[in-house]
Amino acid sequence: MPDYDAIVVGAGNAGSAAAITMASKGLSVLLVDRSDPPGAKNLSGGVLWGNDLAQILPKWQNEAPLERFIQDKKIGFLTDKSSIIIDFKTKIFEDNKVGHTVLRSKFDPWLAKKAKEAGAVVIPGITVESLAKKDGKIIGVEESGDVITADVVILAEGINPRLSIEAGLREPLQDWEVSVGVKEIIKLSPQKIEDRFNLTPNSGMASEYIMGNLEELNVGAFFYTNKDSISLGIVAPMEQLRENGITHTYDIIEQFKEHPSIAPLIEGGTVAEYGAHMIPEGGLGMVPKLYGDGYMIVGDAAGFGFSNGLVLQGMNYAFLSGILAGETAAEAKGRNNFSSDSLALYRQKLEKTYVLKDLKTFKDIRKVTGNRSMYTTYPKMLESILLEMLWERGQPKKKIREILGSCAADLNVGKLKTATDFYYMYRRM
Amino acid sequence: MLKIAVMIKQVPDSQDISIDPVTKTLNRSMARNVVNPPDVNATEAAVQLKDRYGGEITVITMGPPMADSALLQLMGMGADNGVLVTDRVFAGADTWPTAFTLASVADYLGGFDVILCGEETTDSSTGHVGPGIAEFMGYEQATYVHKVEYENGFFVVVRDIEGAEETIKIGKPAVITITLNANDPRNPTLKRKIAAYKKGVKLVTNKELQLDPACIGLKGSPTIVKDMKTVPDPVKNPSKPGIEELDKIVSVLIERGIVK
Repeated sequence: MPDYDAIVVGAGNAGSAAAITMASKGLSVLLVDRSDPPGAKNLSGGVLWGNDLAQILPKWQNEAPLERFIQDKKIGFLTDKSSIIIDFKTKIFEDNKVGHTVLRSKFDPWLAKKAKEAGAVVIPGITVESLAKKDGKIIGVEESGDVITADVVILAEGINPRLSIEAGLREPLQDWEVSVGVKEIIKLSPQKIEDRFNLTPNSGMASEYIMGNLEELNVGAFFYTNKDSISLGIVAPMEQLRENGITHTYDIIEQFKEHPSIAPLIEGGTVAEYGAHMIPEGGLGMVPKLYGDGYMIVGDAAGFGFSNGLVLQGMNYAFLSGILAGETAAEAKGRNNFSSDSLALYRQKLEKTYVLKDLKTFKDIRKVTGNRSMYTTYPKMLESILLEMLWERGQPKKKIREILGSCAADLNVGKLKTATDFYYMYRRM
Repeated sequence: MLKIAVMIKQVPDSQDISIDPVTKTLNRSMARNVVNPPDVNATEAAVQLKDRYGGEITVITMGPPMADSALLQLMGMGADNGVLVTDRVFAGADTWPTAFTLASVADYLGGFDVILCGEETTDSSTGHVGPGIAEFMGYEQATYVHKVEYENGFFVVVRDIEGAEETIKIGKPAVITITLNANDPRNPTLKRKIAAYKKGVKLVTNKELQLDPACIGLKGSPTIVKDMKTVPDPVKNPSKPGIEELDKIVSVLIERGIVK
């Protein structure tokens, strides 16, 4: 008789969602996290979209420690001197209030507390040393020479899944599979935030940029408002950072902060926290076998993240994969069968949802996000076009077609190359 | 068999606190709570005593309900019981009512052979509470101790005194305060933490203790903070005298031919 029906390793969004799902279905659950309070080391650079969370915690919008709901979403390009931004502000976001900025150091302990309230045994401050195996099956976890057993172990250990790798459940991470995110939290009074971004006390702004001012790297940047702070950061592909070898992420984030469109927004603020984290960006190609005898892999550990250069999501994938693994465990308990065949249901469930559908739909997105022109040439081209169109310089005006032609010529871009790039973007985004 | 108590406190992680230059109070809003570091050494000392001489360890803290996580962590290291002394009437206590309340709890729990404490807390650095408990209990005491042996009913302890060590023998029952880094605390284990979680902590309020409200909490605190001054960060603002001193030292070393 195992000690628990299920052990969940890692109290992030995926792990706690799995624990809540299983505990509310009556399973005995142990949720272990390396930090105390649970999840305190977690970091995110995005917006929490809570449709899936609502499945297990319908009152999350009232209870969770949220910062601001997203009313205003911006995407744009930065060049050395300019910013070209689409500002999407909608009453629809305000009516639904589904996207929120969060500070994970507050949100994750709350979610783990919900797992405890649902009946899970939540043990923070313990780093599981290894997975316990018997006859090729995962039978539990090992720590300080003790083995704690369970019918199923749910691996929610995050982007650097040491246990899964050491147990041979997935390959070590490759550079191309991840990006490095570097983030700062900048303290700014709510009054200043609301004035600067035209917000109300609860509404917020989230923006994502392509940094066209960096020649050598395909870097994205994010900027969003919390209650009394700004979260901002940059995301750079590990592969390019390694290849480049001289550009440091801390220089890139400084460049972002000093950009003429960004600097005035954080003026007078003080850096309160900074952190770095890896982000899964390998898409379907980095997703390991998601289940086997006695285990399932969820969240970042499974490579569940979405990025197309302008949209970066992961927390919603974490919730949903955690919930589906939890449901699968509960059904496996009903059949009293935790074999690979029985847990294959988890993958089937994922196939039916946006988690695997998105990864499949955008399986070629790296050809777009990996295309340097997206980050270097096209932002500059847009800038030139807008200068031609919007700047009165005492010159005769040109037709758009001529502007396009001359800008492309100035930037030394072949028309065919541009046409194929846009075709691929169109096909893949 | 030794009946051992460890008095501990949850404090804001000193890495995360700053001083508000205007109000001159500690800004703890960014800080997570940790067990006061020398209290972890005191717990390790307790576990070592138990390992060598046998016994039962009770960790005790006075604080808000969320302080139970500190007790569970130390039970994960090997303490047997956790006691959380929590009541609104205890809030706002300075060192006098804190020592008085903790001594009353120790008494309520039947007294101990030895009560271990950390040398001082990182959030106020008074070092009052350990000796205060000893006085209220009428126990013998030794402060700033980094080594404890138990021999024939006596504790032989090694104290850190400025620039030297002092070995003394004290009788039982005793209060011993343990220095930071006195030992290398073991990590809590998963198995012990699960056991601690299942066992839970015992709650003690003033309903059980029946202490005079005038002697506890803010009301019972004789300390009045008249003013607080902030000093400039010595790293960011290297003071001139320090550098002159350093120059002097270097010139003496050169004079004596120790450095060239």
